[in-house]
Amino acid sequence: MAVTFIGVRHHSPACAGLVARTIERLRPAHVLVEGPADFSGRLDELLLGHDLPVAIFSYYRDAERVHASWSPFCAYSPEWVALTAGRACGAEVRFIDLPAWHPAFSERRNRYADADERYAEVSARLCRSFAVDNTDTLWDHLFEVEQDGDLEERLASYFDLVRGESPAGPDDTAREAYMARWIRAAEADAGDRPVVVVTGGFHKPALQTLAATAGDTGDTAWPEVPSPPDGAAGGGFLVPYSFRRLDSFTGYQSGMPSPEYYQRLWEDGPKAAANGLTEIVVARLRERRQVVSTADLIAARTLTEGLARLRGHGSPARTDLLDGLVAALITDDLEQPLPWTDRGPLTPGAHPVVAEMVGVLSGDRVGRLHPRTPAPPLVHDAAAELERLGLDRAGTVALKLTDERGLRRSRVLHRLRVLRIPGVVRQSGPSTGADPVLEECWRLDPGDAAGPRLSALIEAGAYGATLADASAAALEERMAGAGTDMERLAAVLFDAALSGCGDQSDRIAETIAAGIAGASDVGALGHVLGTVLGLWRHDRLLGTARSPLFGTVVEGCVTRVLWLIEGVRGGPAPADLDRLRAVAATRDALLHAAGPLGLDRDAALGVAARISVNADVPPDLRGAAFGLGWALGVAADPVRAVRGASGPRTLGDWLAGLFALARDEVLSAGDAGAGADGDVKAGAGAGGAGVLTVLDEMITGLAATDFLVALPALRQAFEFFPPREREAIARGLLERRGVRGSPRALLRTPVDPLVIAEASVLEDRTDRCLHEEGLIRKEPA
Amino acid sequence: MTVEKTVDKTEQEQVQRPPAEVRYADELRRLRETDTAPRPPGWALSLEAARRFIVGDDARGIRRKFVGDPSLIDRALVTLATSRGLMLVGEPGTAKSLLSELIAAAVSGDSTLTIQGGAATTEDQIKYSWNYALLVSEGPSTRSLVPAPLLDGMAGGKAVRFEEITRCPLEVQDSLLSPLSDRVLAIPELTGPDAMVFAREGFNIIATANTRDRGVNEMSAALKRRFNFETVFPIADFATELDLVETEAAALLEQSGVGVPPRRDVLEVLVTAFRELRTGTAANGQSMDRLTTVMSTAEAVSVAHAVGIRGWFLRGEQGRAADIVECLAGTAAKDSADDLVRLRRYLEQQASRRSGEQWKALHAARNLLPG
Repeated sequence: MAVTFIGVRHHSPACAGLVARTIERLRPAHVLVEGPADFSGRLDELLLGHDLPVAIFSYYRDAERVHASWSPFCAYSPEWVALTAGRACGAEVRFIDLPAWHPAFSERRNRYADADERYAEVSARLCRSFAVDNTDTLWDHLFEVEQDGDLEERLASYFDLVRGESPAGPDDTAREAYMARWIRAAEADAGDRPVVVVTGGFHKPALQTLAATAGDTGDTAWPEVPSPPDGAAGGGFLVPYSFRRLDSFTGYQSGMPSPEYYQRLWEDGPKAAANGLTEIVVARLRERRQVVSTADLIAARTLTEGLARLRGHGSPARTDLLDGLVAALITDDLEQPLPWTDRGPLTPGAHPVVAEMVGVLSGDRVGRLHPRTPAPPLVHDAAAELERLGLDRAGTVALKLTDERGLRRSRVLHRLRVLRIPGVVRQSGPSTGADPVLEECWRLDPGDAAGPRLSALIEAGAYGATLADASAAALEERMAGAGTDMERLAAVLFDAALSGCGDQSDRIAETIAAGIAGASDVGALGHVLGTVLGLWRHDRLLGTARSPLFGTVVEGCVTRVLWLIEGVRGGPAPADLDRLRAVAATRDALLHAAGPLGLDRDAALGVAARISVNADVPPDLRGAAFGLGWALGVAADPVRAVRGASGPRTLGDWLAGLFALARDEVLSAGDAGAGADGDVKAGAGAGGAGVLTVLDEMITGLAATDFLVALPALRQAFEFFPPREREAIARGLLERRGVRGSPRALLRTPVDPLVIAEASVLEDRTDRCLHEEGLIRKEPA
Repeated sequence: MTVEKTVDKTEQEQVQRPPAEVRYADELRRLRETDTAPRPPGWALSLEAARRFIVGDDARGIRRKFVGDPSLIDRALVTLATSRGLMLVGEPGTAKSLLSELIAAAVSGDSTLTIQGGAATTEDQIKYSWNYALLVSEGPSTRSLVPAPLLDGMAGGKAVRFEEITRCPLEVQDSLLSPLSDRVLAIPELTGPDAMVFAREGFNIIATANTRDRGVNEMSAALKRRFNFETVFPIADFATELDLVETEAAALLEQSGVGVPPRRDVLEVLVTAFRELRTGTAANGQSMDRLTTVMSTAEAVSVAHAVGIRGWFLRGEQGRAADIVECLAGTAAKDSADDLVRLRRYLEQQASRRSGEQWKALHAARNLLPG
């Protein structure tokens, strides 16, 4: 047969070896490799002599979707070996797969991911019958440890079995049909000389059938390379890659883990790889002052050998090494399962020894491009944008955000800042969403043409082809890194608003939603909610009004705040103002955004009702919950609630919660506003006698000491009323007592209230002393 | 003692739970007959056959008896073949004891050499004690010596199980030091060759410890060093756990005389709720408070069992989501008021967001929680 098909697993040293041997033996006319066909013309660029790993970065952008994906190569990639060995023996080398921007790849970020998610069931059965944890272990067991003669047959039967009869999805069908056309063309062109085809093992059987049968139609012309549809941009360029990134794809995007291990396996074989890495692990652990005794090492070696023998390996495989080390070195219980028993990256909280081991096997090699590699489009895009907007000169620039050109210039500069491109520094400008600053001042310094700015832009080119894409991707990454830290999330969100790329990518919204769902600081959440709600409702300057991204954030924060406050327990404590602000922000969201964002008002009312009557909840939150229900329009009996909150130690804090949430309702519900200015509504209250009247009665009835106990919290509670409303309240008080006088004078005592309180305490104490000594008759209150 | 303990058929039927080597005598026999791989000295089976006994082998008709990573079994067995003891740690209800029983049955053909650790465990119960009548009449001799599991295991070359080791006082735990490192047990009361019992090949210790009891009696570093630790985790995969709960609950219900199997959709809700309350992460990624009570698979099975019984004997049907709520109050909340609060919050705020008939029923039944 003139065409030799090699079905490989991407990044498998065993397969890479097989490819090298086959090409060496056959010396083919054509070597066809699974890879982006639109890059075939630029193979010289790929083979310039880079330090591996490098990747072909592919991007695509149209009105509907933005997509970026990578095709990474390391020294032991079968595809890389096919390229280099093919070149070396003088064959025509080509990539034959659809370009990465093609819709067939729309779900993939890593071209060389293991395409086995569809075969999960078969894989699980195989793992069970071989009694191994997962497909990675199974693969090592079957192929990497013993690379002897019949590797090709074993690979073929493995892939046949796993793919089985299951039909390929539409994406794979399209790719396979396209690859088959290249194979037929190459076969026709080669005449009687051999052709070698290197593709993923799952494609091999289908390609063999397609290449053989459809060949009858006689269509053996070289296929055309598709170009992106009109109005869309797509392409690819080389970026330096790293083992860390290679190992960080998760779930179905992942390929083979532990690149450093396989690099060593490829270079020195399994025995040397295991020994070398054990040495590094131990050295690193000792550096970190973990105890690794000689006895432990002997135990680790014994266990590794024992495991290898039990599992029938001539020399230890990756997991034999890891299992042996972990069993011997860890004398604690683990918090979470070992990362290699389940495919996936290390999660936070892993045992330090496990983290170190996984880190060593993952490695820290970083690729470097040859200096003559063409620059990615981002470099050109950034230069063009800066020139167009007149920002390519050194100096200081002042921008008005209110005019359109100013806003565009500001966005470009913010995008550069987000991408950490040197020479762009903002000296002043708005610092939060609520900051009423409309001007920005920047200091620009482009520096040397080939200097640090260029290399930073090439690096940033990995994020995207244009400044907008790249900064959106960079923000997305930062957002994922921020985790549940609300302050950092808020900072990223504001950067997204400033650089105008908040709605560029759905993933930003997804990531921040995940962060919010895990946040535990009510105060911080409330802060973010307040700011974002403002941006969502009003901000036309930065264009965030009604933005779906900010809407998602509002929704997430409301849900989370409601969840968190229901869990708060505790006895009387001073009012937590941040928490009250968070509840108030939730109220605003429910009042102003419930409809368009589909917030669940009833659920919120349920939470409020439960909290307000729960005696285990701190008083301020109980008051706030009551106020929340009231403000949202539930018919409530505030007078009863106020009476229920009595007790000098808790009254003020409860009121602080109520006033923070339902100030308007308190003023308009009762008689306090009766004589107030026109802007404070006097209305029929829900509770007959107003809250303030009842409060007045209660405070008047307090014993002197109780009053002093309650005073600080009461003062704090009334701080929630602005001076004008306080004045209205004061007027109400005077009128209720039938006293004529200036309410303003009541609010402005000539002496600091603290001094009065202290004086009152002192007086009380004096009276008490005098009474004890029988010097006065009157018993102090 | 041989693997097939000859237990009378009728006698076996009366026993509530025969040991693993009796329950699976047939599988052990078949494995032994086809076992050609080399056996570690003193072992009843080869490593490969022992591993197959636990992880199962469809081709040979061996049932899977432990749901978990096969690599855990590999490490455990290899550890036992070396000179270190095996320590299984994990949350309560993760099948540590079952695993230790299975391993002992596979390795030694005998899982009955068991020491149950507790606050009142003494060295007598671990090493040996005396028949005092004989001791007084004959003085110390091998006849008046009453061996405890450790002595039996060392003399017979068998695996000794030590359950809940961290519940024992520290000094009692440390009595394992010299048997583990020097592989010898001194009986100072006897003289001559009987005064030292040297461990025969095949002897090793499988200990279990519960992470919830950690800190009650923290093990000494010297003892820790003589064990390899293996953490046993709750079942990671939802479908696997659901299947397990379903089969186990169905078997229990049949034993209890319930005529119908549990409803799958009710079990789905139950297992999901257990997993979420165990991990403290809701399906939508929200983080929640974990319950302080152990929400193990074993607990889920017992709740499923109780739900089925309530349904069948109270109403003559399969049991509904409302029954889950009532049973949860007893299992999940136990006597902790905090957990009851957490549970209520879960039912109020999480259950209400899920779609599906049973989730709605669960939410609707939230008022059945006491308090």
